[in-house]
Amino acid sequence: MMDTPAARLRPGRADVQASTSTIGAALPFLALLLLGVTFPLFGGGYWGVIATRACVYWVLVSGLNLVVGFAGQIAIGWVALLTLGAYTTSVLAAGNVMPELPPYLALAIAAVAGAAFGLIIGLPALRLRTFYFAITTVGFATIVTQVALAWQSVTGGGVGVPGPIFPEPFSSQWGFYYFCFSLAVICTWMTANVAASRFGRALTAIRDAEVAAEACGIAKPALLATVFLFSGAVAAMAGGLFAALQSYITPDAFTLDLSILFFIAILIGGRGSILGPLLATILLTALPEFAAPLVAWSTFLYAALLLVIVLAAPGGIAEILDFKNRRPLESNRAIIPRPDLVGRLLSAPVDAGALTLEQVALSFGGVHAIDGLDLEIRRGQVHGLIGPNGSGKTTALNVISGYYVQERGAVKLNGAALPLFARHRRAHMRIARTFQTPRVVGSASVLENVMIGGTIDGKGTFVESLLSLPRHRRDEAKLRDTAMLALAAVGLERLARVRVDRLQHSELRFTEIARALMLHPAFLLLDEPAAGLSADEIGRLAALLAAIAKTGTGVLLVEHHADLIFDICQHVTVLNLGRVLATGTPAEIRSHREVVHAYLGG
Amino acid sequence: MPTSAVEPLLDVVGLSAGYGKIGILHGVDLTVGANEVVAVLGPNGAGKTTLLRAVSGLLPWSGSVCFAGRDLAGAGPRDTVQAGLAHVIEGHRVFTQLTVLDNLLLAIYDLPRGERTARGEEALALFPEIAAKRHERAGSLSGGQQQILAVAQGLVRRPRLLMLDEPSAGLSPALVNRVLVVVERLREAGTAVLLVEQLIEKALALADRVYALARGSIVLEARTGEADLPHRLEHAYLATANRQP
Amino acid sequence: MVESIVSTGLAIGCIYALIGITYNVMFSASRVFSFTAGTLGMLGGVLGSLFIARMGMPVAVGFLLALAGGAVLGIVTEIVAVRPVLKSLDQHLYVLSTLALALMIQQFTAIEWSTEPQPFPRLFDIARGGFDQQYWLPMLACAVVIVGLELLYRHTLIGRAFLAIAEDTYAARALGLPERGLRLASFALAGVIGALAGFAGGEMLLAFFANAPMLTFYGFVPVALGGMGNNRGAVVAGLLLGLFQQAANFLVGGIFASVAVFTVFIIVLMACPEGLAGAALQRRV
Repeated sequence: MMDTPAARLRPGRADVQASTSTIGAALPFLALLLLGVTFPLFGGGYWGVIATRACVYWVLVSGLNLVVGFAGQIAIGWVALLTLGAYTTSVLAAGNVMPELPPYLALAIAAVAGAAFGLIIGLPALRLRTFYFAITTVGFATIVTQVALAWQSVTGGGVGVPGPIFPEPFSSQWGFYYFCFSLAVICTWMTANVAASRFGRALTAIRDAEVAAEACGIAKPALLATVFLFSGAVAAMAGGLFAALQSYITPDAFTLDLSILFFIAILIGGRGSILGPLLATILLTALPEFAAPLVAWSTFLYAALLLVIVLAAPGGIAEILDFKNRRPLESNRAIIPRPDLVGRLLSAPVDAGALTLEQVALSFGGVHAIDGLDLEIRRGQVHGLIGPNGSGKTTALNVISGYYVQERGAVKLNGAALPLFARHRRAHMRIARTFQTPRVVGSASVLENVMIGGTIDGKGTFVESLLSLPRHRRDEAKLRDTAMLALAAVGLERLARVRVDRLQHSELRFTEIARALMLHPAFLLLDEPAAGLSADEIGRLAALLAAIAKTGTGVLLVEHHADLIFDICQHVTVLNLGRVLATGTPAEIRSHREVVHAYLGG
Repeated sequence: MPTSAVEPLLDVVGLSAGYGKIGILHGVDLTVGANEVVAVLGPNGAGKTTLLRAVSGLLPWSGSVCFAGRDLAGAGPRDTVQAGLAHVIEGHRVFTQLTVLDNLLLAIYDLPRGERTARGEEALALFPEIAAKRHERAGSLSGGQQQILAVAQGLVRRPRLLMLDEPSAGLSPALVNRVLVVVERLREAGTAVLLVEQLIEKALALADRVYALARGSIVLEARTGEADLPHRLEHAYLATANRQP
Repeated sequence: MVESIVSTGLAIGCIYALIGITYNVMFSASRVFSFTAGTLGMLGGVLGSLFIARMGMPVAVGFLLALAGGAVLGIVTEIVAVRPVLKSLDQHLYVLSTLALALMIQQFTAIEWSTEPQPFPRLFDIARGGFDQQYWLPMLACAVVIVGLELLYRHTLIGRAFLAIAEDTYAARALGLPERGLRLASFALAGVIGALAGFAGGEMLLAFFANAPMLTFYGFVPVALGGMGNNRGAVVAGLLLGLFQQAANFLVGGIFASVAVFTVFIIVLMACPEGLAGAALQRRV
C-alpha cells in the first residue's frame, strides 16, 4: 500500500465513527437543554423553585465533579464553599460591612474567594491519605458553619442575612430560573470541554493510575491545584445563587447532609462522566419532592442508593447508560502490529546520545538491590537486561525512570545527570516506560488511554480547554491522530473505542506500548513486556520493538523470556545479586558458563 | 504378576491458573508419590510459585487436583491444610511481632489446647537453633532462622505433603544445607515433599524426581538418576520459539 | 474551674480514645477505615437510653444489649460494607460503602428515635457532684478496654491470631488461619468497644443522633495523630484532644473552640501525615 507522507490511515471509517459517537453523546444534553428552556411552559411555580435549585446545585456539582469524579479526591465537605459563597455574596450585596455592591460584582468576588478557599481545602489532598483527607474536608465544612454562626457582626449569627436580589430581568421567579439555568448550561459546557481535553484525561490518570500518570509527565500538584481553584470558584458562585433563591440565609441551611448530597450525586452519576452526575443531581434534588415522607427520609435514601451503587454498579448511572460498551467484542481477536507505521510515528528527529548508569547503588533495608551498576543504553539499539529474581533488573529500571533514587552513582543522559526526586520530568526528557502490571484507566477507552501518553505535548492552557478555544481544539485533533497512528502501529486500532477494562491482558500490554510511543521517546524502557503473551504475540512484539529501535530509539528490555532477548537484542547485560555478571552480544552471553548458571540459579 | 498401580498422593492434571487476566499456568500435569521428594525447577516467571499457590488453594484454578484421593476443587487454604497439605510460602514470612512459639501455635490454631502445646514442643525439638529462642519475637531472628521457623510451621501439623517455595532464597550456603538436611529427614520419616527451587544442583541431590517448568508448562520430567540431566534442563529453559509445545 | 476542665477533658478524651481504638481494631483486621466507628459510639448512647430509660430494663441488661447491638453493627459493617469491596482494586470504594452505611443508620436513628438529644439514664444511684460518675465511667471504660485488649493480644491465641492477620494477611491465610472468621470477630469486637464508649459517655453526650458525625471526626483525630493501628497512641492523643478542647471551650467559648481544635489538627497532620509517633512506632497493639 503506497503511503504518501500526508496520507492518514484509513480515513473515513474512524472519523465517521468519531462523529456519530459525538452526536450520540450530545443528544442527552440537547434533550435536557430543550427540557430546561421550555420548563416554565409546563412546570408550575413550586416546581420552578425545585428546578432552579437543581440548576444551582448542578453549578456546584459540575465543579466538584472534576475534583471527585475525575481527580478521585474524596471531598465530602464541599458545602463549606457553598456557605462561603452564600455569605460573601449576601454580605457584600447587603452592605453590612462595606458600601453595597451590585449583586453581579458580589457574585464575582465570591467566586474569587471561593477559588482561594477551594485551594486551601484541597491542598491537604496532596499530602494525606484518602480517608484522612475526607475527614479534613468534613472538618472544614463544620468550621465554616461555626464561623458563620459566631461572626455575628458580619453574618448576623444565628439570625442570618437576606440574600442578594438580582436586578431585572432576573428578579422574577422565572427570570431568576433562566439566570441559574444559563449558568448551569455554561458550567456543563465548560466541564464537558475539560473532560474531553488532556486535562480531564490527566485527572483520570491521577485517579486510577497515578504511577503511570507520572511516567507520562503529568504533574499532580499543579493539576489538582487548578481543579480546586475552578471547583471552589463555581461552588462559591452557586452559594451566591443559593442565597438569592432562599432570599434569606442562616447557618443551619448549610448542613452536612447537603454536602453529602453533592458528593453522592457524583458517585451515583458515575465518576469520569458529566451526564451521569448531571442526571443524578436532578434526580436527587427532585426525588424528595414527590412525597412528603420522602423529605424526612431523603438522606437515608441517598445513602441507600449510594450503597447499592457501590456494591452493584460502581460505575453509577454512567455505566448503566453505557450501551456501546455492552456490545460483545469479537472473541478471537489478534493483535497485528504494523512495524512499518512505527517509522511515521517516531519520525521526529532527536539528537544522538546515550543513557548511562554509572556505579549506581541502592539498598533496601540492608540488602543491596543494586551494587555498583554500570549500564549504557545506546540510541537505535535494543539492550536486554536479564538475571534471576532479586538480581536488580526491575530496580535498575525504576532508578532510570526515577521511581527510586539511588544512594550512590549517577544516571546520565547525554552525559548530564538526571535530576533526582523528579520522576515526572523523565517524560519531558523523552524517556518513556511500561510497567510489569499494566497501569491503565479501566473506565476510559483504549484511545483515551493512549492519548494520556501525549499529555505533555499539548500547548493549550486549562482555560483554553475550559472555553474550547482554537488552540485546544488543534491540540485535541493532533493528539487524536497521533494516538490512532500509535494504535495502528501496535495493532489495536479496531479496539480504539472499547473500554480498557474489557481488554485481554496481552492487549493491555500493547496499549501501554502505544501510550509510551506517544512521547516520541528517545529511550523506551520496557518492564517484562512479554509476560503473559502467547508465542505468536511475542513474535509480533519482537518485530515491533525491532522497528522501534530502528527509528533511533534506545530500547531497554528487562525480561525473563530468553528467546525474546536473544532474538532482538543487539546487546545483553546479565545481572546477578545487583551486579553486572556479564555484558556483550547475545551470542557471547549465551555461551557464557557463569551466566547460564546464574540465570538458571545454579 | 500384575503390578498394582499405587495412586499418587498428589495428582495434578491440566492445571491452569493465573492472576486476574494474566494466565500463568497452562495445563500442568504433575504427581507426587507418598514417600517422594519431587523438585520443580525453572526460570523466573515460569509459574513455580503460582503452581504451589494453586494447589494449596490460595489462587483460583481450573483443571483437576486430587490429594490423598480427595478432589480439591473449590478448597481454600484452610481446607487443604486440614487435609494434610502444608504450604511454606516464599520469602520466610513469619509474624515478626509474635514469639517463635506463638508462630508455631498459630499454625495449629484449630487443634485443642493440650495437643497444641505438645505438637509445638515436638516441632521445636526438630530445630534446636530456634528452640532456644522460643519466647523471643520472630522479628529478632536472622533470615535463615526465620526460614527454619517457617518450615517448622509447616511441619508442626505433621502433614502428609509439605510444599516448600524456594526455601533457599536469600540464605547463606550453610543455612541452605541446614534446611535441605531437614527435607532429607522428612523423606525418611514418611512425609512427601514438593520442593520448588532455583538451586539446581542442590535440588537434584535431594529429589527423587524432577519437573522443569517454563512459560507455564512442564517441559521436562525425569528421575534424578538419569544421565545428562543438567544439560537437558538448560536446553529446556533456553528453548527457542520453535520448541514451544 | 481547672478541676472541671480536667475531669471533663479527660472523660471526653477517653471517649474519643475509645472511638479511635474502634477505628484501629477495624483497620488492623482489614486495612480499611470505616465511617461507622462514630456511629457505633452514638448507638451505644441511644440504645442505652432506649433499653434502660424508655423500656425500663435493669441497667445490667440494658448495658449488655447495647453492647450486643454494637457487635451486630460491627458485623453488619464487615459483611455489607467491607468484605464486598476488599476484593476490588478500587481503593476508594470502602470509604463510600462505610459512609453510606453510617449515614443510613444515623438518619434512621434521627427519624425513629428523635432529632433532639434525649436524656441518658443515671447508671448508679449515687448523688451527683464531686468526681461524678459521668466523668469516671468513660475513664473506667477506657481502662477496661486497654487492659482487656492487652490480655487478649498477649494471652489468648485468638488475640495473637488477630495480630497475625494485622501484620500479614497473606501469610495468615496460607497458614490455614480462618481469616474471614477472624475478621468478622474483629469487627464485632470493634462494635462492642464503640458501643461501650457511647454507653459510658451517655450521660455526658446524651442520646443524640448527631453524636455520630461528631464522634466520627473527633474519634479519628486520635488515630491520625497517634498513628494508624496504634492503640496506645490513640489513647494519649485522645486524652490530649479532650483536654485541649475543654481548655479552648473555657478560654474562647464553644464555637471558636471547634475552630481552634480543627486548625491545630490540620496543621499537625500536614506536618506529620503519619501521626506524631511517626515511623518510629511500628508496633501495633
